[in-house]
Amino acid sequence: MIQALNRPAKNEDDCMISVQSVNHVVMPGGQPLQILQDVTLQIQRGQSAAIVGRSGSGKTTLLGLMAGLDVPSSGAIYLDGEQINCLTEDERARLRAARVGFVFQSFQLLPSLTALENVLLPLELAGMNHARDQAIDLLQQVGLASRMNHTPRQLSGGEQQRVAIARAFAVTPRVLFADEPTGNLDSQTGAEITDLLMKLNKQQGTTLVMVTHDEQLAARCDRQFHIDAGRVDTQ
Amino acid sequence: MIKALQQTAIRRDLRLRQVKVMLAAVVIAVATVATINLFAGHLQKNLMQSASSFLAADRQLIARSSLPVAELWQQAAREIGLKTSEISQFSTMLSSGDAFQLASVKAVDSDYPLRGQIEWQADFQATRQMRQQGPAPGEIWLNPRLLRLLEINVGEKITVGEAKLTVSGLLLREPDSSFSLSAFAPRAMMHFADVPATNVIQPGSRVRHKLLLAGDENLLNAFENRVQPEIDTGNYRWRDARDGDNIGESLNKAENFLLLGGSLAVLLAVVAIAVASREYAIQQRDTVALLKTLGLTSSVIRRLYATRLLLWGFLATLVGLLIAIPFAWLLSAMTAQLMAQPLAFSLQIWTLWPALLTALLVLFAFALPPIDRLRKTPAMQVLRSLPQLDKGFLAKDLVFSGLLVFGLLWLFAGELKLVLSLLAGLAVLLIVLVIFSWLFVSSVRYFKGGSTAWRSAIVALHRHKRATLSQLAVFAMTMMLAATLILVRSSLLADWQAQLPEDAPNHFLVNIAPETVDDVDTFLTREQLQRSPLYPMVRGRLTEINDQPAKEVALNPDDDELQRELNLTAAVSYPDDNKIIAGQWFAEGGTEGLSIEQSLAESLGIKLGDTLGFTAGSDNFSAKVTSIRSVQWESMQPNFFIMFPENGAIRDLPATYLSSFYLDADNKTLLNDFVRQFPTVSVLEIDHIIERIQEIIQQVTQAVEAILVLILLAALAVMVAVVSATMSERQREGALLRTLGAQQKLLVKATVVEFALIGLMAGILGVVAAEAAVWALQYRMFDGTFRWHWPVLIILPLISSVLLALLGRWQLRPVLTVSPMLLLRRLE
Repeated sequence: MIQALNRPAKNEDDCMISVQSVNHVVMPGGQPLQILQDVTLQIQRGQSAAIVGRSGSGKTTLLGLMAGLDVPSSGAIYLDGEQINCLTEDERARLRAARVGFVFQSFQLLPSLTALENVLLPLELAGMNHARDQAIDLLQQVGLASRMNHTPRQLSGGEQQRVAIARAFAVTPRVLFADEPTGNLDSQTGAEITDLLMKLNKQQGTTLVMVTHDEQLAARCDRQFHIDAGRVDTQ
Repeated sequence: MIKALQQTAIRRDLRLRQVKVMLAAVVIAVATVATINLFAGHLQKNLMQSASSFLAADRQLIARSSLPVAELWQQAAREIGLKTSEISQFSTMLSSGDAFQLASVKAVDSDYPLRGQIEWQADFQATRQMRQQGPAPGEIWLNPRLLRLLEINVGEKITVGEAKLTVSGLLLREPDSSFSLSAFAPRAMMHFADVPATNVIQPGSRVRHKLLLAGDENLLNAFENRVQPEIDTGNYRWRDARDGDNIGESLNKAENFLLLGGSLAVLLAVVAIAVASREYAIQQRDTVALLKTLGLTSSVIRRLYATRLLLWGFLATLVGLLIAIPFAWLLSAMTAQLMAQPLAFSLQIWTLWPALLTALLVLFAFALPPIDRLRKTPAMQVLRSLPQLDKGFLAKDLVFSGLLVFGLLWLFAGELKLVLSLLAGLAVLLIVLVIFSWLFVSSVRYFKGGSTAWRSAIVALHRHKRATLSQLAVFAMTMMLAATLILVRSSLLADWQAQLPEDAPNHFLVNIAPETVDDVDTFLTREQLQRSPLYPMVRGRLTEINDQPAKEVALNPDDDELQRELNLTAAVSYPDDNKIIAGQWFAEGGTEGLSIEQSLAESLGIKLGDTLGFTAGSDNFSAKVTSIRSVQWESMQPNFFIMFPENGAIRDLPATYLSSFYLDADNKTLLNDFVRQFPTVSVLEIDHIIERIQEIIQQVTQAVEAILVLILLAALAVMVAVVSATMSERQREGALLRTLGAQQKLLVKATVVEFALIGLMAGILGVVAAEAAVWALQYRMFDGTFRWHWPVLIILPLISSVLLALLGRWQLRPVLTVSPMLLLRRLE
């Protein structure tokens, strides 16, 4: 991993994610709007954590910052020992490719690729051998052995989310970020997806960070962070 | 590299509407430019060939002295692989019994002509034939007039100097017949080998020797370089096909027009490409954000899209070329029917480079920038929709691509001023269009009355204000370009046809003696021929300007017209195609002054009021410049540099008279009567030259029509691009409206009305702008006056309106054919 000398050394403790005094301000239409206010939290390796809060409370922003999709206005964020707010965009991208998985509310599959190709994508990105076998194996694990060559449009919501989960776990990420993974699904399907997510999470020993409205889902996580108007209090 | 992504994206994204439009536009741009270049190249070759047949060769090496072209040069030419033929021309008396007649004899070898054909007739009753060879040794062919003057028949013998030759046919036309007024004596053609036996060429005889050359252009140039030192000594001079200026000029105008048209097609295609690629980029933002989230760096993303674009561009270019080649072939085949001796179409690969350059340019200047900026898409976009980053770059893109387009147009049209004015015009137009469009959009909501469909159309126009504005601007520009081309085309063709109407004089009478003038006049009047007046002709030199020697005070002392005798004339009125651009034509019965042609006046620096002195034989006379005329030399009418009033300075000088008339092919026998009645008058038949020029005009006209089709296709591509760019928004709205219970009929009607309104407005703005542009062009090029072209003015907005309504209806199809539920899901 690329790291300049003047950056802080790796944080070698058990902490997978460390957010320290993070503030985030955006300027929509020229007016400053504080999204996050002095947020500090830690998530240990292998833990599952839920971020809950009302719409517009800043939980998705926090998730994005922790995953290195954006950098905070101030404060520090450590992900797997790297201070990601000091990395360039490309460095953060490389870090994500190797260690981070994502599951989204709207599935975010590439509509032009088949289920199998969608799962293959991160594997090929990471330059893995036997990528195809591994992808097929994963799709079998999520119960889509018979639908591998379907495009997202030919799949139901639940099936699409299964593909997304297979894709997320394909590279055996150290941390998985999930943004409302059951938000677009009915409760029955949502429960199935939750089970699948938890199962794979346990199997691979992944750290799981999840944004959700779903109290039940939040309750199944090791830790819950409530966020309200940009402030976080830990439970 | 991410194989699956790359491969499937290249294949699957091809199905995206934006990509299709983008590539179709590339195909059109490439096909247009390639077709024009291929066809123009073919036309040029054909024309050089046909012009070559006017020389009976590709080049002529003409001896300035009476000595034959040195054997050395003939050998040198043959050694490098050129075909050669030697000819000599001299004047001599032909006799048969008691009849004597002065003839201009052309002696040709067995290889003559190297290009073109000789028109020949076995006797007066036989059909005309085209021959590839001159008379055999011992034989002679005579001009029909000569045969009559000598009162002999084919098969009899005549005497040429000391030799007796058998008349074996009638010489109707030789390919390299000269079109100069000095060719007075009728023609006879004999074999080169018989010349020594005639013994007519003595030291001091006036003989003109020529070496005809034909072959590959490179070989000809190589030979020309080798001979150049000899030419510099003044013993020889060159003549090549490009010297035929009348034909060359027609071709140049045509080629420029084609290239201008081609540039407009490229311009239109470029708009389509820019719009479609922007749309594609917007559509790809989510994908890019996701790829970034999955860990793709921006350089990989850039490579991913650049490779994709490159591959598509390559395919589109290939398709464009594959379309262009048969299209150019088809054009050539079409025009071949119009030509006497068409050349087979041959593919010249090197003429394709401008098309390749166009492809590269349109791809990299217009398609790439928005797609390349995709790599700057924030990864956060994957979680929520973020405002687009694209805005600030628009101006930068425009400046950059504007410069590139300018360079490309300059390269194609070759005229800096024209391109600059075109682009400046477009820029001004765009601003005006935006203002007018804005006024239209703002005022349209005050016309809310009428049916539900009308109301929703008006509301939609207003609601999508920005989309409406940009659509209006783009459509209006498209309409303007299309209309400009249609208008310029018709005025260009009319201009040509006006220059050389069907009944343009195709026969000249020269050397009419003063005592026969009245009889000739009576003859022409009796036969009701379309004719010019009889002009007296005095040969004289311009020697003085304002009492100073002309060669010393003239602005351009090397002007050809100072080196030779000019044909001076006197007339009551000036020829119809002339225009007085300064001063006044002579008053009736006036005796003072002279009128000079514009370009000569400019070249010599002569102004109104200057006194010009002339020498004709032993006479000197002078007159003041009282008017300056513009002359259309291409019109093939008798025209003069200097004209005097009827009773002016040249009245008492010895003159011969000149006239011209039109005679159609069926009435050619009339010439025989004329020749019998006026044996001393020379008749110059230039009908074949006129036919050739008319042939070119017809060919080019067809090419212009074909190119116009390509340009209109480009215009259509632009429209499809722009309509489809706003369509996903419309489709979503349509789906929502249907879900909320709107009837299909209403939806269709509202969309059709909306697009028809945009089309109508764009059409009106476009044609009005086109009228202004055409006026500007004409003002610059043909100094015409402004006039409205009502048919175009009325029809084009209607067409544009109908076309857009159909296009809108067509784009709405997916909204109407599937259930609202499926639609909403699909558009999520």
